[in-house]
Amino acid sequence: MSFLTIQDGTYGYEGNTPIIKKINWTIEKGEFHCLVGKSGCGKTTLLKLASGLLKPDTGNVYFQGNNLTEPSHECGFVFQSPTLLEWKTVMDNVLLPVSLKRKITKEDRKHAASLLDMLGLSSHLTQYPQHLSGGQQSRVAIARALIQKPSMLFLDEPFAALDAITREELQEDLLRICQAQHTTVLFITHDISEAVYLSDRVAVMDQGKIIYDVNVELLKPRTMKMRYDPYFNDLCLNIRQVMSGEQS
Amino acid sequence: MKNIRVYSFLLFLLLIILWEAAAGNMSELILPAPSVILFTLFEGLSSGYFTPHIVRTTLEILLGLFAGSLFGFVIGILMGESVFLRKLLFPYVIASQAVPKLALAPLFILWFGFDMTSKVVITALICFFPLLENTVTSIQYIDKQKIELFRMLKASRWQTLIHLKIPAGMPGILAGLRVAVVLAVVGAVVGEFIGGSEGLGAVIIASQGMMDTPLMFSSLILLTLIGMLLYQLVNVLEKRWSKPYMKEPKK
Repeated sequence: MSFLTIQDGTYGYEGNTPIIKKINWTIEKGEFHCLVGKSGCGKTTLLKLASGLLKPDTGNVYFQGNNLTEPSHECGFVFQSPTLLEWKTVMDNVLLPVSLKRKITKEDRKHAASLLDMLGLSSHLTQYPQHLSGGQQSRVAIARALIQKPSMLFLDEPFAALDAITREELQEDLLRICQAQHTTVLFITHDISEAVYLSDRVAVMDQGKIIYDVNVELLKPRTMKMRYDPYFNDLCLNIRQVMSGEQS
Repeated sequence: MKNIRVYSFLLFLLLIILWEAAAGNMSELILPAPSVILFTLFEGLSSGYFTPHIVRTTLEILLGLFAGSLFGFVIGILMGESVFLRKLLFPYVIASQAVPKLALAPLFILWFGFDMTSKVVITALICFFPLLENTVTSIQYIDKQKIELFRMLKASRWQTLIHLKIPAGMPGILAGLRVAVVLAVVGAVVGEFIGGSEGLGAVIIASQGMMDTPLMFSSLILLTLIGMLLYQLVNVLEKRWSKPYMKEPKK
């Protein structure tokens, strides 16, 4: 039984022509999968279907063997924008998922502080989101998604608005934390090298379908050097050609 | 920009001087000089003549503002949350606002009598709409991704309202309150115009009868001060709410 299964998933907004067309996809526990594709190809919609934010018109989504009809407690989500609550401090933003369920304990605060420490934000706990840079805000959003130790994490182009260096730093942080917590990840991006660097498997989407998928045979943990490896570059080129329709 | 307050004060002084000069050539009945008004005001305040009127009008404004704003806020929340209620009630709310509310004052005096209740009701009715309108709008237009975040976190409708919609809509809601505060003064005074023996509105009507224009101006000044004070109070409230997270970080 796979950890997450999308079976013949089809979805169209308010009866329009489907954006997602009969997609089948499985993710095994602990795997890191990336979906790449041009804007408007249906990546975000597929992520919402996989996370239970949307229900497929036809087909099913199974999470740990159960039919997923609504978001699960065991999943975390990082949106394209950091979606932090401006009136709450960094610490309170990270603790939001816990505060909606129960009273916050000392342990929760400790856990949040250690997560923020891992993400290099230990000196910003009492600051408000407006006072942070874009990269720092994204880090807070990741910490918030991880606070409840989710077994599955969905990320929708979380680093798209960041500069190259910050993006690479955040990729490292994300990989490190997800490996430490054995988190299964479905990550959306339009950056091919980001997809190859992060994931165990990359799928290319086009017009609501997965048109290509490939396993990434790079060692873990990933290192900066791998980005300049011929295998890495060949794989990127290969995916690039599929995306532009030069190869199928 | 640094000296803008000084310039503002100088402008005020200039206007007062011009007024004083203009009033010198006119009858006190038409345009009393600022010095005469100030004297009347001071005398009225020190003798305690104005005290019951100020208390009465302020009380009417505050009670009306409180009741109207609270109703506006609560119904705004209900209408913002429920499409059914929004569609059901909106035509009635619009109709209630399309009626010139001040023209309803005689009716309210007929229903609620000459005492404070009728004025409070008029004030409340006037304050109701800005709060309602702003609350409905503010809590409806929340960032979609934040709503999805709360769905993802499996927050209940109540939790989403309390932890997201109301705080996120607060700037809009407070802007409604600022409009309501200014309108509240109008509501209370018009109520007093039509029927009442106490309150600054009633003093204005009485001074008209007595041809005591300085007294009329004094009451106007007091009403303006009450309005400005309340407006500032809402500003302070707004700043308190948004200050911690809006202010620039220390460099």
